[in-house]
Amino acid sequence: MNIFFVLLKKEIKELLTRQLLFTIVATLLVFQLIGGLVGSHNKASAARSGIVLLDLDRTALSGRVTKALGGGKAKLTLYAGGGIETALAAPELGAENSFMVIPAGLEGELKAGRPASVEFYSRFKKNASGLGPAMSASRIRRAAQAASAEISAWLLERNAPGLAPAFLMDPAPAREFAVVDGRTAEVSLAQVIGFIQSQTFFFPVAVFFIVILSAQMIMTAVASEKENKTLETLLSSPLDRRLLVMSKLAAASLIAALLSGAYMLGMRSFMAGVTGLGADPSVAVAAAGPALAKLGLMLTTSGYLLVGLSVLFCILCALSIAFILGIMAEDVKSIQAMMTPLMLAYLMPIFIDLSTAHTGLKVLLYAIPFTHAFMAPQNVMMGNYSQVLWGIAYQAAVFAACVTIAARLFSGDALLTMRFRFPGSR
Amino acid sequence: MIKALELTDLVKKYKNFEAVAGLSLTVAEGEIFALVGPNGVGKSTTLKMIATILTPTSGSVKVFGLDASRDAHAVRELISYLPEEAGAYKNLTGREYLEFMAMVFLKDKARALAAAGEGGLLSGLGPRLGDKIKTYSKGMARKLLLARAVMIKPRLAILDEPTTGLDIVNGYEIRKTIKALAAGGMTFVISSHNMGEIEYLSDRIAVINNGRLLACDTPAALKTRFATDDLEEVFIKLTQ
Repeated sequence: MNIFFVLLKKEIKELLTRQLLFTIVATLLVFQLIGGLVGSHNKASAARSGIVLLDLDRTALSGRVTKALGGGKAKLTLYAGGGIETALAAPELGAENSFMVIPAGLEGELKAGRPASVEFYSRFKKNASGLGPAMSASRIRRAAQAASAEISAWLLERNAPGLAPAFLMDPAPAREFAVVDGRTAEVSLAQVIGFIQSQTFFFPVAVFFIVILSAQMIMTAVASEKENKTLETLLSSPLDRRLLVMSKLAAASLIAALLSGAYMLGMRSFMAGVTGLGADPSVAVAAAGPALAKLGLMLTTSGYLLVGLSVLFCILCALSIAFILGIMAEDVKSIQAMMTPLMLAYLMPIFIDLSTAHTGLKVLLYAIPFTHAFMAPQNVMMGNYSQVLWGIAYQAAVFAACVTIAARLFSGDALLTMRFRFPGSR
Repeated sequence: MIKALELTDLVKKYKNFEAVAGLSLTVAEGEIFALVGPNGVGKSTTLKMIATILTPTSGSVKVFGLDASRDAHAVRELISYLPEEAGAYKNLTGREYLEFMAMVFLKDKARALAAAGEGGLLSGLGPRLGDKIKTYSKGMARKLLLARAVMIKPRLAILDEPTTGLDIVNGYEIRKTIKALAAGGMTFVISSHNMGEIEYLSDRIAVINNGRLLACDTPAALKTRFATDDLEEVFIKLTQ
């Protein structure tokens, strides 16, 4: 058997412990369980609460508004027991948070040409958490829009008979077009932004798992070999030291891919449970697919390959840097502290907008090899292929430099004598 | 006499600290040679330079005529090194560990399996070889590591404190194994603080202090020189 595979097998056996397998399975189960619980809680909560309507006007107009609201998504409860104070105090309405009041005299005021108001009350609970308050706000907004449209239609029918109220209220509806790199397609800005954000934010977060997990694993692997002195035995063997480096890099990458796959799978089922949208969160933008494709925003096979290559070099850069940090680590306990600079370097480009950063910051961000992987999907979408290729070339150069440094450290005394201590550490 | 090991004016400096300061000695093939001295006087550093994992600042290490710096790879084909308080891969079984290490040193599956089989017998661990190393006691782990060091039949075995921390029975078994292998022609360079062990095992002893050689002779000759029956007394007189 090739000695590389012997080393790889040993590395995998050392890294893939029962505890790690248990963690993977537990992660999947916990995500699934929490997603399911939160989702069913939200559904039950949505079914339980709706809008309580107090019709104090009791006219044809208020009847019409009530009917329009009844056709909406929210459950409508009619309350005839008194004013808003009574309704808020009514025990049978204790679970309700959204109240709408059609005041007495609404129709009369409008007929007389005087403005009038429909009132909305939202009850906040001290221990409110989760998605409940956000769902209440959304319910109120929809009900207000529906009531306003119905009242406007009623007024228009009275004052401009013979004309369709829908036409009068929105005689020239807006059509939104997006222009990308000279290509134009009819699609809302919100959909384009949503799609680009899904690529530029969720994508780096997904890669983050792989990078951090694999970096942590390789640092632990190197530091524990140093600590246990198993490395000294290997270094005194007639083994090509580059093989030692490469087998550790390969094993950490393989296991990190497995772990991050499990995390992403868990996250998908969690999101599916929470949102109730199904397993694929991109379903929301799927309807805009043809328009996004026309704009060149959907990745082609070659686009995916370029992005994949950029991510691969991003991971390799992280692993080789982590390898060097592992060599410098005093012991396994110091790994967490050693990870901090790597994590900060990774997170910086996620939270700083490159397009608005000043030149110095831009140079710093582009010097971080991970930035190029985050930018790759956006650049491919926008047709900036040369920028992606330059980014990959830069990442490859950083990786080659780091592997050279790691191999040199592995071949010299530094591996046994180098110790990185944090100020104040013993 | 074939020189298994030859150190000439060997120096190792760490920044301003001289761990080994001009050490010269030779070890003949088939000898059990002991390196003794107080803690922190350069014994382990010397052994690491012989094992090719540290580079001398000056001077030379020759193993069967090969320079440990220039011909490091060739030297590694001839040696086996057991570091002080070394560990093993905890998630491997004893058998897997021996097979893995045999493959690393011999690179041939058939030879590696044969060597690992022999290592298993030498370790005396029997059915426990099928258990993960993390379940082993310190003595069991040390016996496994010693078996690993000698199963590939190196021409020179470098053992840094092979019996430290072991109970009487385990220490005795390891010493017996070393004696038997040396009788078969294997050369040993060992370091130890146990003077009884040194006297029992060694053909010759080198006493070092502050990285320098103080004396090098057979246990009997050293005792005669210092007019004592106790090797520990020789050690104390030399190092104080």
